[in-house]
Amino acid sequence: MDTLERIADRQTILIVDDSEMNRAILADMLGNEFDIIEAENGKEGVAMLQKHGPEVSLVLLDIVMPEMDGFGVLNMMNKYHWIEDIPVIMISAERGSSHIERAFELGITDFISRPFDALIVHRRVVNTILLYAKQKKLTAMVAEQIFEKEHRSSLMIDILSHIVEFRNGESGMHVRHVHTLTETLLKVLVQKTDRYHLSQTDISVIGTASALHDIGKIAIPEEVLNKPGRLTNEEFAIMKTHSMVGADMLEALPFYQNEPLVKAAYQICRWHHERWDGRGYPDGLKGDEIPISAQIVALADVYDALTSQRVYKPAYTHEQAVSMILNGECGTFNPLIMECLRDSADDIPAGLSDDSIESRNRREMQNVARELHKHEELTASERTLELLEHERMKYSFFASLTQEIQFEYTVTPPSLVLSTWGSEKLGLPEIVMDPYQDEAAQAIIAPEDRDSIAGALRSTTPGNPVVQSDCKLFLDGEEKWHRIIARASWSSEEPPRYTGCIGKALDIHSSRLQLEHLEQQASHDGLTGLLNHAYAKKRIMERLEDRPSGRYALAILDLDYFKSANDTYGHMFGDQVLKFIADRMRHSIRGGDIAARVGGDEFLIFLEYKTDLESTIDGVYKRLAGGSYEDFKISVSMGVASAETVGVDYDTLFRCADQALYVVKNSGKGHYSYYEKEHAPVGEDISAVSPIDGEDEAGQAQHEEESK
Amino acid sequence: MTLKECYTAMGGDYDEVMGRLRSEKLVQKFVLKFLNDGSYQLLLDSLAAGDRDEAFRAAHTIKGVCANLAFNTLLASSEELTEALREGKPPQPGEEELVARVKTDYERTRQAIQAYQEGAGG
Repeated sequence: MDTLERIADRQTILIVDDSEMNRAILADMLGNEFDIIEAENGKEGVAMLQKHGPEVSLVLLDIVMPEMDGFGVLNMMNKYHWIEDIPVIMISAERGSSHIERAFELGITDFISRPFDALIVHRRVVNTILLYAKQKKLTAMVAEQIFEKEHRSSLMIDILSHIVEFRNGESGMHVRHVHTLTETLLKVLVQKTDRYHLSQTDISVIGTASALHDIGKIAIPEEVLNKPGRLTNEEFAIMKTHSMVGADMLEALPFYQNEPLVKAAYQICRWHHERWDGRGYPDGLKGDEIPISAQIVALADVYDALTSQRVYKPAYTHEQAVSMILNGECGTFNPLIMECLRDSADDIPAGLSDDSIESRNRREMQNVARELHKHEELTASERTLELLEHERMKYSFFASLTQEIQFEYTVTPPSLVLSTWGSEKLGLPEIVMDPYQDEAAQAIIAPEDRDSIAGALRSTTPGNPVVQSDCKLFLDGEEKWHRIIARASWSSEEPPRYTGCIGKALDIHSSRLQLEHLEQQASHDGLTGLLNHAYAKKRIMERLEDRPSGRYALAILDLDYFKSANDTYGHMFGDQVLKFIADRMRHSIRGGDIAARVGGDEFLIFLEYKTDLESTIDGVYKRLAGGSYEDFKISVSMGVASAETVGVDYDTLFRCADQALYVVKNSGKGHYSYYEKEHAPVGEDISAVSPIDGEDEAGQAQHEEESK
Repeated sequence: MTLKECYTAMGGDYDEVMGRLRSEKLVQKFVLKFLNDGSYQLLLDSLAAGDRDEAFRAAHTIKGVCANLAFNTLLASSEELTEALREGKPPQPGEEELVARVKTDYERTRQAIQAYQEGAGG
């Protein structure tokens, strides 16, 4: 079709129809000239629109469909204003005029009834696309023109005001500073009061007009204007005429008298030397008789004059200037504006130093953007769309390279978009509409983790929007640790609104497991799986410190005749015995107790008792000792020290329990005993320890006999 | 068997569909595809399950496809069934006969297409 060739790129058509046959017929008829994407129900159609956005040039829409019907799609397209940019042709076998009427009310461009004629469908599709393309082009042209106009006018004003400045011998920055200060002060002012009915546009116009405040100086003789040193009264009188002269110049303009910019500039030129108390010039206006634009520019002018070096004075610092103005040393100003100065005093130096050409341009762009915003049909210029398209392409390219689960969540319409790799990994479609209602999506993450991340994102601020959290995701029925890093998106309105987030989920499962494994290794004995001595000591000391008032006891135990087991059956067997006794220990102690291998065949148990230490220890001992492992009889010697007797110091507890064990070892083994205060130093008074279960040398001999 | 004969056998209008889609190849492609469309099975299943909404959509789809392909006999009965099943309507007397008619018409259409397919293949 030659008419279509005028549109450079191939256009994309979205066909939304539940019958594959119907989609195939349409795709066949149009596929040569257009790229076709298909959706088999309304919900999928909306998801496609969400994903492809302005790439879609036309939607062919069926009415009767499962999940969401054609009217549902139109409602969504209206809700999100897509219908303004994307034309819809409805194709349906429905004949009722009420259906057709309703569809047109919802914004469709055309209605084709089934059975359709191939030529008619083709013709109408082409016509609609051409019409919209033309409209888009016009929109872009208007946007371009507004941009150009704004750009040119501010350029002219810049040139004009700089001519004045150069003649004045000033730095060239004065005009810019006054512009920035004026806008800064006005923005604070509108937050404080609506007394002056200032819109965003007014602020922008006053800012631009402020550049012209000294335009009348063009008429002041060079020798007065640039006189080094104080002016005589007569010279000062000449100087003072510049405000009225500037105003006259503007009033004498043959055109544009009704332009807001010219009006604002007139007020500023004429009255920027008036003062709140009526002691300014040329008219001696008082209070709010002086237009707010002139009041603001007057303050900005004074501030910049103070902080700049002039032929007759040095530059004051920002602090000096602010305090001089607030003290009324430069004439009186509207108290409200003084308040604005005070409130923004901290931001002003940064604002001015940032007053580069770029930031100017940026500001101008913002002004243009605001201007464009007012024209409903100009929501996005071609330029913006191109930039957007470029970003989209960049994003999807990088997303396709990385093996990461990347996601984007938008609050309205509620939808979750996943990177291709991420969607495969999670087993979800790339676009999930209403993820909170989607069972498959909900099965990925535990609700409390989901809510905690969502809560964290919502409580971020636009300045600090990033959230990180580790949690488990359920992939293919397996729990895997992931680190979620997400950035909240906030709207640019005041106050900002949470609009969703972007982020990614990194698989940290193996590193997390490794960490857990390392922790386990560092704290546990490799052979028996009990805690190792160093870690047990740390835990016990923490317990003693946490609650020194607790009733604690430490028992050290030793496997009797272990050496003979090693010698007789070999070290492998010895290891098995150690594992066997460790198992018994695990089963002999209670939840809060600590069992550890001290080293070799020596173990420790730390426990807390309520009232009766003796029966507690006796119970533990009985569960540990006795019986045999294969042919080896299990005999255990144990020494016990209680914090009640020796104090709550770990080392003392250990040493004393060890002493008690030593005594047991030297008095027949196979029993246990307590450390008692009156004990003499180790080995000197063995008889002070009484064997408890009556094992003696004979028992040892018997044991040796039996274990052979 | 020619495509035109196939249309005659099923009670369709060959000239009408050629007038609209304008390419015998295209028509042939979709006629052959018709038997793969799941809507008929869906209609029977949802009627059996008592899901009238789903049955309505299935009948509606069959009607739309028949209209596009000018399968006018099946179009007539499926259109009647679509209206009988339309949202909110309770079952009317004679609905069973209507379903039976759709089945007969579908069967006739299927046989015609199959005969054509074999002829075209052989």
